[in-house]
Amino acid sequence: MQSGRHTPGTNDNPSTAPASPSATGPASDFDVNQLFASTCGWCHLKGGREAGKGPKLADTQLADGEIIARIRNGKPGQMPAFGSAFNDEQLKAIVGYIRGLKP
Amino acid sequence: MTRSWHVAALSLALLLLAGAAATAAEIDAKRLMNADKEADNWLTYHGSYKSWHYSALADINTKNVGSLREAWSHVASRSVRGLQSYPLAADGVLYYSGSYNQVWALDGATGEVLWQYKQKLNEDLVAKQTHSPYNRGIALGYGNVYMGTLDGKLAAIDMKTGKLKWETKLVNSEKLTVGFTGAPLLVKDKVIVGAQGGEWPDRGPIFGVDANTGKQLWRFYTAGGEENNGDARNTWLNDSWRTGGGGGWMAGGYDPDTNTVWWGTANPAPLYDWSGPDWKTAGARPGDNLYTTSVILLDPDTGKLKGYHQEVPHDAWDFDSATGEFIMLERGGKKYVVHPSKSGFVWVYDRNAKVQNVWRLIKNINFVQDIKPNGELVGRRDMTAGKHENLCPFIAGGMSWNMGSYNPKTGLLYKVGNEWCMDLEIVKTTPILEPMAQLNIGANFNITNPKGDKAHGHVSGRDPITGKLTWEVKFPEPPLASLLSTGGDLLFVPDPRGWLRAYDARTGKELWKHNNGQGHNGGIISYRAKGKQYIAVATGWGGLAGDDYPSFFGGVFAQMPKDSGVLKVFALP
Ligand code: HEC
Repeated sequence: MQSGRHTPGTNDNPSTAPASPSATGPASDFDVNQLFASTCGWCHLKGGREAGKGPKLADTQLADGEIIARIRNGKPGQMPAFGSAFNDEQLKAIVGYIRGLKP
Repeated sequence: MTRSWHVAALSLALLLLAGAAATAAEIDAKRLMNADKEADNWLTYHGSYKSWHYSALADINTKNVGSLREAWSHVASRSVRGLQSYPLAADGVLYYSGSYNQVWALDGATGEVLWQYKQKLNEDLVAKQTHSPYNRGIALGYGNVYMGTLDGKLAAIDMKTGKLKWETKLVNSEKLTVGFTGAPLLVKDKVIVGAQGGEWPDRGPIFGVDANTGKQLWRFYTAGGEENNGDARNTWLNDSWRTGGGGGWMAGGYDPDTNTVWWGTANPAPLYDWSGPDWKTAGARPGDNLYTTSVILLDPDTGKLKGYHQEVPHDAWDFDSATGEFIMLERGGKKYVVHPSKSGFVWVYDRNAKVQNVWRLIKNINFVQDIKPNGELVGRRDMTAGKHENLCPFIAGGMSWNMGSYNPKTGLLYKVGNEWCMDLEIVKTTPILEPMAQLNIGANFNITNPKGDKAHGHVSGRDPITGKLTWEVKFPEPPLASLLSTGGDLLFVPDPRGWLRAYDARTGKELWKHNNGQGHNGGIISYRAKGKQYIAVATGWGGLAGDDYPSFFGGVFAQMPKDSGVLKVFALP
C-alpha cells in the first residue's frame, strides 16, 4: 500500500486531524522514492537535486522540524500544504530522503 | 461647425450611448449566438462561439498604433500566482476575475470600480491545493456573472450589484482538493463547467447547470465515462479508472449548427506511466484510458456523449487536450474545427470530430515520431521505469493554455509555440485504486534545451488548416499569455518579461511596444466604451508554467513578483 490509499476524507483539517496510520498505510510499505516522484518532483526537480518551481532541497539549511513544518503547512501560492496526508514515520522518511540526496 | 454646437452634439451622442448601455438587451442565448457580430463587446472567454479571440474593431490600426497609450489600470488585490484571467466587456462595463475568486466590474472607459465580489473560501482548503488560487475566467448571461470556484462551486453573481445570487456545490473539493479554475461556457440556458483533473483524484467531471436556478442538470466523468453514457471503464484495465485523471480545466467550445459542446480533456493519472511499449496490458493504467487527452462532443442539454476523438491514446507525457480552443472555421463550403494541443500538434476536424489533418506548430517533438494527417500516432516513445533523456516537448507543453487568435481578414491563425525539452526518471509506482489527495506524477525530471538549440518560444501566423507558415517571431522565453488580433490588422502579443507588443498581422513587423512592468500570463481583449476603442490586458506573473522561469531562464524572472496583478487598459490619445 502506498500514499495513494490515503483516504482524503480524514484530511479535512490539517492542524487537528491526527496522522492516521490506517489511512496512509504502515511505513514499511511506504516507498519514499515513489512518493517524491509522484508528489514533490514536479516542483523540486531531479528528485530534489535542482531548483525548479521550488528550491533545491539537497542542501537545505532547515532543521528536521522545519522541513516537516514546511511539508505540513506548505506556502500559499507556492507549495501546497500536505496537512496530515503523511504520518510521522512517513514524514521522517521524507526528511531522510532529503538528507540523503547526493548531487 | 461652431465649438458649442460640436460640444452639444458630442454630449448628445454620449447621452445616446449611455442610454444604449443602460437599456442594452440582456445577454441571453441569442446575443451569445451572435457575439461575433458585436464588435464593441467581448462577451465570452473565447470571444464568441467561433473561438477566434478576434476583435473586428479597427479604430486602432497599423497606421496609428504607434501612439497607443495607457488609459487606465486597475490593481487586482491578492494576486497570488499573478493574474491569469480573461477580461470580458459588455455594454461599456468591463468584468474580470482574479485569484481567490475575486471579481470586479469596472467602468470600461474610466476604470472606476462599480462593484467588487469576493468569494467566501476555506483558506485551509486553498492552502492544500496545488493548482490554485488563480481563476482563469468567467461567463456572462441572464444578468449574472458565472464563476467556477476553488472549492468546487459554480457561483452566479448579479451583474448589476455584484451580490451573490446563488451557488451550487458540484465537486467535493474538501475531499479531493481539486476545484474549478477554468471559465464556464454558457450555452443557451445551461452553464457548462469542467473540473480540474489530470494528475489528480476523482474522474475529471464536466457539469451542466441550469443558468437561472443553479440546479445541476448533468455530469460527465471524463475518466471512464458513465454507466449508460459512454461507459469506457474497460479501457482502463485492473479498475485503474478509479485512479482518475482527465478533467476539462479550460473552457470548451460550442457548435450551434449541430448543438454540440466540444471539450478538451486532460491526462490520466499517474501522469507518467512505467509500462513502456506494453501499455495496453501493463503499467499503472493499462489501456487507452478513455476519455482522457481527448476531444469529447456532448449534448449541452443532457450531457450525453455524442462523439469523441482521443488525440493521444494512453497519454504518458501529459500532453493533454484540455488546453486548446475550438476554432470554428468554414473554407470552400466545408466546416472545420481546429484544436491546438499541449503536444505541439494542431488537430483539424470536421464538425463530427473526424480528423481532417494534423500539423506541427513546433519543431522539437519526439514523444512520437509523427502524427499522420489522419490522426494516427507513429513511433510512440513509451518509457519504462528509469532514466530517459531529451524528451520533447517539456511537460509544460509545446503549447500551453494561453489562447491564440484567428483573424478572418488575414486568414491566419496566430499561436504561441514553445521549444523546450526534458530529462526524466520514470518511477514505478504501485497501482493506486482509490483517489489520492496529492499529485500523482510518477517521475522526477528537469527542463533542458533542445539538442543544438536554446529553449525559446515563438509566435507565428499560419494557415489554420494546413499549418503553412506566413511569418514567425522568436522570443527568448515562451510567452505564456493569450494573443489578440484585430480588424485594424494588428496582432498583440503580451510577453513574459512584461512587454506588450503590437505587430502588423500580415507581415509580423513590430509596430509598437510598451513595458507593463511585470510578465503576462492571462488574457487580452478589445472593446469599445463611450465610443472609444480600448485594449485590456491582464498583467501578473507566477503561474505554474512560469514558476520554472526563474531557475531555468534566470534574468528578469529572478526578481519578478509572483503575487501582483494589474489590469492595464490602452487607447489612442
Ligand atoms: C507546486 C510546487 C511544489 C510542490 C508540489 C512541492 N513543493 Fe516544496 N516548495 C515549493 C516552493 C515554491 C518552495 C519554497 C517556498 C518558500 O519560499 O519558502 C518549497 C519549499 C520546500 C521546502 C523548504 C526548503 C528550504 O530549504 O527552504 C521543503 C523541505 C519542501 N519544499 C519539501 C517538499 C516535499 C517533501 C514535497 C512533496 C511532499 C514538496 N515540497 C512539494 C514548491 C513545491
